[in-house]
Amino acid sequence: MSAAPRIDAHLHVFARASERYPREVTGVCPAEREETVESLLEEMEANGVDRAVLTQMGGAEVAHHAYVRDCLAAHPDRFQGIGLIPADCADPEAHMDRLAGAGGFIGFRLGRLGGPADPLAPMDLRDYGTYRIWAHAARCDYVLWLYLRHADIYAAGHLVHAFPQVRVVFNHLGVCPGEGQFSWDEHGRPHVGAPNLYLLWHSIYRLSRYDNVSMMWSGHYAFSKNPYPYPDFADNARWLMRAFPGRLMWASDFPWIRRVPGYGRIVELLRAMVPEVGEADHASIMGGAAKRILRFPDRRG
Amino acid sequence: MSDTTAERRRRWEAEGYVAIEGAVGAAQLARLRAAFDRWSVDGRPQWLERVARGEASPTWFDIPEPHEKDEVFLELADHPSWFGLVCELAGDVTIAPMQARTVPCWPVSYTAWHPDRGDGGPRQVKVQVYVDDVPPGGGEFAYVPGSHRRHPETHYRPGRNEGTPGHLRLPGPAGTAILFDNRGLHTAMDNATDVPRRSVIFSYAERPPGGGDSDRFAAIADRLTTPARRRLFGLR
Repeated sequence: MSAAPRIDAHLHVFARASERYPREVTGVCPAEREETVESLLEEMEANGVDRAVLTQMGGAEVAHHAYVRDCLAAHPDRFQGIGLIPADCADPEAHMDRLAGAGGFIGFRLGRLGGPADPLAPMDLRDYGTYRIWAHAARCDYVLWLYLRHADIYAAGHLVHAFPQVRVVFNHLGVCPGEGQFSWDEHGRPHVGAPNLYLLWHSIYRLSRYDNVSMMWSGHYAFSKNPYPYPDFADNARWLMRAFPGRLMWASDFPWIRRVPGYGRIVELLRAMVPEVGEADHASIMGGAAKRILRFPDRRG
Repeated sequence: MSDTTAERRRRWEAEGYVAIEGAVGAAQLARLRAAFDRWSVDGRPQWLERVARGEASPTWFDIPEPHEKDEVFLELADHPSWFGLVCELAGDVTIAPMQARTVPCWPVSYTAWHPDRGDGGPRQVKVQVYVDDVPPGGGEFAYVPGSHRRHPETHYRPGRNEGTPGHLRLPGPAGTAILFDNRGLHTAMDNATDVPRRSVIFSYAERPPGGGDSDRFAAIADRLTTPARRRLFGLR
């Protein structure tokens, strides 16, 4: 058995909405729904996954983070957290520090960057809506977790370039959904219609030259036109392994995949999609890269 | 540049590219820039909407249907500075929709090293014409001489563009035309200036036996007034 850690680099857990654990209620996540850390741990242990990154959902206010914060506190050697920042936050630095100071939150997920609408218009980086967030992440060594709108790709390039000390993780193959591309499928999972890989080669994937940029290998269930193991993304996987050597991180996107195709099958996806993947690449993608880049501490015992 | 036709042919065969400085004269360049200025403004809102919908990249902007917009684009399509050589190299050719392209300033080039195609198929020539001066480090076209004879795989190469062995950068003044064999590895280098790179890209392909005609350019049929130009654009 390999000693390499197996780390799920991106997933979500949440509790029923309550006074203790307030969260936003949606059609997909009604108040009574819960996807608990206990159910996640069952899946992880059944499939040999050691650790994970818990990514906040259900609201960006500090109070909304209560459940993830408690999970991080209960399992400090297993989990790290990624928080959210309210779009209208007047003091993002204080918000970031407050969550990070509570322990376990190592970074923040951004869906918008607030860059210029027109790439051909004059621009000043300091006018970007998230400039202060990037600058504070640089000062405090926070990770930025990017799942962007397509319109934010241009801004992403300039910010990545301006802040080479910020560890940046593009979520879900770097896909940046365009307006109208996101929906929920019949299994209650996110679905992004027809992401254009040609455009990714000419934008997000060009940022592979920056050593501080990593890529999350996940989300195929939401993008593929084919059933598991999503063979239409096999060439993409091979290409990403070359473009992001040592910087590609497998993630399950639990709980959306829990029933279809199932957590265990997502754990096996890399070998199922790319049978020729070598042991070293496999170990890196399945946990080695996340451990090093996100600085997971060695587990006790 | 004072290359003779024979020298250009030799370079094309051996290295896969020919650069012609001063291919477009000052007056025509002025008209070309005016056309870019006007139609870039006109087409931008539509581009930005497509970017927001995930249908276009924010890393380059092409004027929609430039051949319909301004006569200067038609004049360049069969420009005497290069069209004769194109026909020598590829025979009786038809033209694909041209790209009047503006590349916004971005910290890294919008494209990686790649060939457009593998071996086989009709002979093809691509021509890139600089609208403005393109200095070194200004997003200039680059090519790996001789790579057109090695038929490399057609995927995009990851990694830094400047790291590809044996590549040749081709900066040049406005009006430079670069003919290249698109089986060879080519790219745009990073643009470290604060000036977007503007160019027009023409793609010519040898007319298939007994074919090559289509309605693709029917919208400008009344402006294609010579038999040669109608033939180039695939109109009978």
